[in-house]
Amino acid sequence: MAPAVRDLIAAFVLLNGVIGAVTYVTLLERKFTARMQSRIGPYRVGPHGLLQPIADALKLMMKEDVVPAMSDRWVYNLAPLAFLLPCVLVFGTIPFAPGLGLADLNIGLLFFLAVSALEIVGLFMGGWGSNNKYALLSAMRAVNQIISYDLPFIFAALIPVVLSGTLRLGGIVEAQQGGWYVAYPVIGQLGFLAYLIAMLAAENRVPFDILEAESELVAGFRVEYSGMKFALIQLAEYAHVIATSYLGALLFLGGWLGPGPSWLGAIWFTLKALAVFLLVTWVRWSFVRIRVDQILAISWKLLLPVTLTLLLAAAFVVTYQGGGGVG
Amino acid sequence: MSGNRASFWSELAQLATAVGKTMGVTLRNFLRRPVTIHYPDVKRAYPDRFRGVLALTYDRETGEENCIGCRLCEYICPPQVIAVEMLKAEKRNYAKTFTLELYACEYCELCVQVCPTDAIIMLRTVDLATADRRELLLDKDRLHELGLADEPSWATGTRLRDMQAPPRAVKA
Amino acid sequence: MPDLEARKVIEVGYAGNERLVMNMGPQHPSAHGVFRAILTLEGETIVAVDAVIGYLHRCHEKLGETLTYVQYPSIASKTDYVAAMTSELAYVLAAEKIGQIEVPKRAQYLRVIAAELQRIASHCLWLGTWCMDMGGALGGGATVFLYCFRERETLLDLFEALTGARLLYGFHQVGGTRYDLPAGWAERCRSTVDLIERRIDEYEAMLEGNPFFLARTRGVGVISRELAQEVGVSGPLIRGSGVAYDIRRAEPYSSYEAFDFKVPVETEGDCWARYRVRMVEFRESIGIVRQALEGLPPGPISSRPGVKSVGQVRIGKGETYARVEGPRGEVGCYLVADGSAKPYRMKWRGASFSNLSVLPHIVPGHKVADVVAIMGSVDPVFGEVDR
Repeated sequence: MAPAVRDLIAAFVLLNGVIGAVTYVTLLERKFTARMQSRIGPYRVGPHGLLQPIADALKLMMKEDVVPAMSDRWVYNLAPLAFLLPCVLVFGTIPFAPGLGLADLNIGLLFFLAVSALEIVGLFMGGWGSNNKYALLSAMRAVNQIISYDLPFIFAALIPVVLSGTLRLGGIVEAQQGGWYVAYPVIGQLGFLAYLIAMLAAENRVPFDILEAESELVAGFRVEYSGMKFALIQLAEYAHVIATSYLGALLFLGGWLGPGPSWLGAIWFTLKALAVFLLVTWVRWSFVRIRVDQILAISWKLLLPVTLTLLLAAAFVVTYQGGGGVG
Repeated sequence: MSGNRASFWSELAQLATAVGKTMGVTLRNFLRRPVTIHYPDVKRAYPDRFRGVLALTYDRETGEENCIGCRLCEYICPPQVIAVEMLKAEKRNYAKTFTLELYACEYCELCVQVCPTDAIIMLRTVDLATADRRELLLDKDRLHELGLADEPSWATGTRLRDMQAPPRAVKA
Repeated sequence: MPDLEARKVIEVGYAGNERLVMNMGPQHPSAHGVFRAILTLEGETIVAVDAVIGYLHRCHEKLGETLTYVQYPSIASKTDYVAAMTSELAYVLAAEKIGQIEVPKRAQYLRVIAAELQRIASHCLWLGTWCMDMGGALGGGATVFLYCFRERETLLDLFEALTGARLLYGFHQVGGTRYDLPAGWAERCRSTVDLIERRIDEYEAMLEGNPFFLARTRGVGVISRELAQEVGVSGPLIRGSGVAYDIRRAEPYSSYEAFDFKVPVETEGDCWARYRVRMVEFRESIGIVRQALEGLPPGPISSRPGVKSVGQVRIGKGETYARVEGPRGEVGCYLVADGSAKPYRMKWRGASFSNLSVLPHIVPGHKVADVVAIMGSVDPVFGEVDR
């Protein structure tokens, strides 16, 4: 089979897999959250709610597509796509197991970070095109917040790069065969913590979800979207969360490394990504949110100096021990 | 986040303990049993005095209708949802028609309170959801039907008035 | 002609550029009811607040003229529907004051138990909705909300065993109460109250040291002592600003002088101070309930015969104002009686109505996100505001 056709089929399978996984991750979050709140999540649709995501998807597809009259048509209609594309595109670079990845680029991490930052464009298009003050306010806050937190996010993600000496995601996992980076004294734990905090903020999760602050801005930049466009935006958001969970598991928790035969690697990887996701969800459902100026203060005054220091420390340790160099 | 080094570390330690405490509470609740009751498969136990749907009763011994059409319930109802017409007969009066608009009822139990013959009562159920509001305009037959179908509450007019009235010896 | 100058919105000078007028409309997840606030923003800072109310007006004061003294207590619950017991209490106290009707001791203690349990339930709702507003319906706020409602449900179960209804009771009548305690209720009440005390410890653990919570509430929405007294706020708002005024102490009604409880006062006047005041009130109310259950005297629950007809209670000519300490502040009922079975005029003094009038003074200068924190700490219920 021609490699182009094979890649096309692989991409198609991956895309569908991602969409399916993302819809079921919403169910996982709902059941997990419900147990934390002394209740049961979805229960009646299918046994123990297992068909709930399908019911939700069908419902969203059947809804009327309302476009506000004075909105900027092209911007409004293209925003969900512009938001979805980067969030799904990054899945292409993640290696789920040695050799089982769509494109294990040798600048994999750079591609991931750069493309995932493009979601801001889609977000702002949604806020602007909706012709709605709430949406605009939310979009402005979002741009503020995501740009501020992308820097600590990138620096935290660069710590494993320095420690392993390669930007290739598969290479970073292979370098962890001696020990996961989260077990690296001080730098590993603090780096992982900084990565988690920056991830929360880059995903607009509580306590940093000021942009969609339900009780103030109703739904933020999504407020004027309904039906399938809303479904695409939800999909994109959750896909981004899962993608960064996978990245976190890969960078700090050893990716597909785990006991047992090597074909279990993909399963270990998924379990670790889910663990990161559940940790983030646990934090999300425990805290109230903080104000936008406090969010920015945390980013610029706390996270950025800390991650920079950690990165320098990692570089110092690597040079002192004589290993590494960027390959 | 500003200030000298000692306060920075102590603030950070404070932050860490507070975060740990909060997430600890959430974790503890994660391990508790949920309080959800799977209605309608499982129904919770309604207390004795539950104010449910209204109904009319028959006399236990004779099987006659208790309602004498005196209209006291109609006069006391604050949203005026009851409408009664009296039917005069030889030994006692009856209610010719008795309509109760359940969709506007406030469930205040005042009609039950004043009924001299304990004719109108409330039941220990509120399972009367319908798709058509007209089914909630209860007429006399429907009210008697409900009275026979479901379990009545503890409260009847006589019992409520006895509970409130001061005992005869202690009249101030 | 209405005085248009009087509605001039209070503005705060701010050296910014453009102004944006945003409407936090009557349908809003955090408006605590139907409340419209027209905010003038410069960037994220609020420059002026114009509050519009009246969306829940249901003509209570007219109803008070058309319904008799026997019928109205069941309707009085609907003004402050979150704390129904205190609204009913204000009305019957006013009627009893004019008619010089004595209330038996047992009924007074039952009223105290009902009012304090209602205060605990109302504060549970306050804490839950406040945290939900601040934390989002998809986030930690919802978690605290569900915990608080889980506890509130146990209290509503108690009320359901006592009266038959969960939210709007019709428990009070002129002359006493309508229901007495069923068998086993006192034991159940004690164990419920013990459970709630333990759960309040959990909430405090979740929120007290929480830096996010502190950052949202410290220094936000400061009501100075002078402003509080000038505008006429009451309840936890005035006690959070340093004035130790509690009607249960200042003008005791319904045998409150027999109970030993602390009146919490904080001096900073910000949202955190009001939070602390209410959290202490939780525990004090639990103490009062325990004392009342302990000292509950036997006897009749009403000094008048059981209600048999709609015009049974007639109150002679007179007028009076009766006030009670509700969970939100001073709830008052001004009653003018004319000798018949219906009042000639009835006016409600809603606690939330006066409390809301402080908003245009304290909100400008804050960010948009602080509006919900302040609204939540003011804790309005719009049944009381609009009546």
